[in-house]
Amino acid sequence: MAAFSGILLASFTTPMHIDTNPVSMLWLLPLVASIAVVYKATKVYKIVAFPFLRESAVLFWSILVFVVVVALFLYGLGWVVTDLLPNVLSGSAF
Amino acid sequence: MAQSWKDHHNLFLVATGLLAWLVPGGGHFLLNERRRAAVIFVVVVLTFLVGLYVGSIGIIDPVGAKPWYAAQIMNSPMVYFLGRVSATGKYPVYGRPNEIGQIYTSTAGLLNLLCIVNAVYLAHLRKTEKTDD
Repeated sequence: MAAFSGILLASFTTPMHIDTNPVSMLWLLPLVASIAVVYKATKVYKIVAFPFLRESAVLFWSILVFVVVVALFLYGLGWVVTDLLPNVLSGSAF
Repeated sequence: MAQSWKDHHNLFLVATGLLAWLVPGGGHFLLNERRRAAVIFVVVVLTFLVGLYVGSIGIIDPVGAKPWYAAQIMNSPMVYFLGRVSATGKYPVYGRPNEIGQIYTSTAGLLNLLCIVNAVYLAHLRKTEKTDD
């Protein structure tokens, strides 16, 4: 029991190893799920298992779609500013 | 008499808010919203613990990351004591684990703030509905 407690405490004093790659973006998913569930818990009139889960799932996907759309927009904006505009300007009179 | 009722009402609102801050979901529990309280408790505590597990207690940094700490302390006053432990500098954390841990714990704190406000608002509504009857 003491060894188990020691391991448990130690796991909260040493950070995990997470690479800086696109896969680390998946850490977004549990957070979005938390936000959706807690927000819905404060909004629904009465918590009944199935309707509550359905409403939380709808909010989860809504947030996810919005995040993806914003990410694509920002990626496009970045491409225009860093790739497209310099090429257009270098071919102009400037 | 009216003044006395108002005093009690305000005291009840403060107690609800404080309990909701002490234990996530505690405010709703006080209002007999047991299911809501359980959902809030499980999700907020789990989110906070995941953040703590990812980044270690070093992510609670009351000195170098004050804005994050302000959001983190909304989880519970317990965070203050964790902050004092991590302020010793024994648990340094950098890079992606630091970012993800801070985002998780701070979001959990902000979600709990939402629940605190919601519990106080519910308490206020119930009291005013009772007096209207």
